Amino acid sequence: MASRTSTVGSRAKRGLVSLGWALGGVLVAILLWEGVKVLGSIITLPFETSDQAMPHVWSIVSGAMQPEVRGSDTPVWQTVLIAAIYTLVIAFGGFLIGVAVGLLLAIVMQRFAFFERGLLPFVIASQTVPLIALAPLIVGIGNRISIGPFEWGQTQSIMFIAAYLAFFPLSVGALRGLQAATPTQVELMRSYAATPRQALWKLRFPASIPYLVPALKVSAAAAVVGTVVAQISTGGRGGIGRLIIEYARETTAQPAKVYVAVIGAVIVGLLAAGLVALLDLYLTRNLPKETLT
Amino acid sequence: MSTLAVHAEGVWKIFNEGANNEVTALSDVSIDVGKGEFVSLIGPSGCGKSTLLRVIADLIPPTRGSVSVAGVTPHEAREKHQYGMAFQQAALLDWRTVRRNVELPLELAGWDKDKRKARALELLEMVQLQDFADHRPWELSGGMQQRVAIARSLATDPEILLMDEPFGALDEMTRERMQNELLRISKATGTSVVFVTHSIPEAVYLSNRVVVMSPRPGRITHVVAVDLGERNEDTRESDAFYDSVTAVREALRGRATPVGEGGARLAETS
Ligand SMILES: Nc1ncnc2c1ncn2[C@@H]1O[C@H](COP(=O)(O)OP(=O)(O)O)[C@@H](O)[C@H]1O
Ligand SMILES: [Mg+2]
Repeated sequence: MASRTSTVGSRAKRGLVSLGWALGGVLVAILLWEGVKVLGSIITLPFETSDQAMPHVWSIVSGAMQPEVRGSDTPVWQTVLIAAIYTLVIAFGGFLIGVAVGLLLAIVMQRFAFFERGLLPFVIASQTVPLIALAPLIVGIGNRISIGPFEWGQTQSIMFIAAYLAFFPLSVGALRGLQAATPTQVELMRSYAATPRQALWKLRFPASIPYLVPALKVSAAAAVVGTVVAQISTGGRGGIGRLIIEYARETTAQPAKVYVAVIGAVIVGLLAAGLVALLDLYLTRNLPKETLT
Repeated sequence: MSTLAVHAEGVWKIFNEGANNEVTALSDVSIDVGKGEFVSLIGPSGCGKSTLLRVIADLIPPTRGSVSVAGVTPHEAREKHQYGMAFQQAALLDWRTVRRNVELPLELAGWDKDKRKARALELLEMVQLQDFADHRPWELSGGMQQRVAIARSLATDPEILLMDEPFGALDEMTRERMQNELLRISKATGTSVVFVTHSIPEAVYLSNRVVVMSPRPGRITHVVAVDLGERNEDTRESDAFYDSVTAVREALRGRATPVGEGGARLAETS
């Protein structure tokens, strides 16, 4: 019992330590940014460091406080925040679909060697199709789909792209994980006359967690990047991607604005990483620390 | 027949039959294990000890020959949870507590939660690990993990224990303690045991009979009956013990008289 509580305690401590590192990282980023600006005013750097191209950190902060458009009461940060949440929700949807599809494929491939041989090459080949580049095409095709009351819109297309990028790392990681139970453990399950489903739930799935967790992290990152880039390339309304393009056009008037949107995108990424980290803590709560990644 | 724990007759196991990597792992193996009997399989690596155990456990089918376990086919015996198994690796599940590891076969046999828990605690008490019920397996030493594995193999109160070098990874001291514990438990529960080992003293100390196997092709060459009576602290130093150890060693070297037709059958009287 004592060892359980100390495990929980050391985990909380580890959480605090990583929070400290994160804050330190933000500080370092700010110092680097301002340092480069100072350096650029002394010597000639191969890129523009003027206040126009790289506004001071404090200009970005005050830019975030300014109204979105002249005369409106909505400050820029609020618009960015709403767009960031919207993007996070889409990315989360894409992530969930990607995880479900990836897990299903992994289960089928593990269970039937025939499918592993037949399916795995296609799973790998799927990632050579630059779906992000084809995003406008996907939207074009999607717009023609409507099944009963369900209308495939731009949002569905963007979520589809996020899911497409997320399923791959997950299916590959999950497949390795589902194959991670030792031959002895597998024989034991057989000696207990376990059905394939029981073997999956009681052995293969829990044994896959050390492989599944890193795969979830990569998938979550892929879903966020996929969502933001797909929003940029399709100009999908409401998301942070669209906001980045819009604000980029206004750099002459308000150079800080686009950086507020970029920070918004970074925050989406961090929130996604944080959510997966919580999932990690939950999934690995019973495992020895050495197997944690 | 129904009084036998294991009855195998003319069993062959040929891996990759017909291919150029064909291996005859078992060649015309016949063996009977009586109720409550303790039989060890000993022989050099690759002589088919694990293969024989796997055939008995219905983990792999024999190429030829017939096998019955507790009076039924190996398949039925497996479905009815009539044997328990333990291997060199304890193969406990890291994410389950010690108690829930012991409960695993009971879960799969459809026991309800309270009965499972009570049974697991009873078994943990039998292997003297009741204080570790809520620990995770990775918090336990190798010997303790192996005791959990033995408790788990006994969970469904099987008629037969099939053990493949279960103490192979333990140090000598722990090993001797575990041997005594296993003898005590198998005697108390009336369980028959088929025990694979590399160690001659271990085979002699534990067994009523030691079955000696030899490779290429895997077959039974000798059966050494051991009669040491009740085991105690002095057994390992007794002359009778040394005589049996010598007999098994001679058999392994191929010097003793080999078994004739009929393989490792029980004597009619036993
Ligand atoms: N699944 C398998 N496929 C092919 N050959 C096997 C397989 N399992 C065991 N063998 C071969 O059968 C022989 C007996 O193996 P095994 O029963 O494991 O021996 P032991 O347990 O006595 O060391 C060995 O030559 C081994 O290589
Ligand atoms: Mg072996």
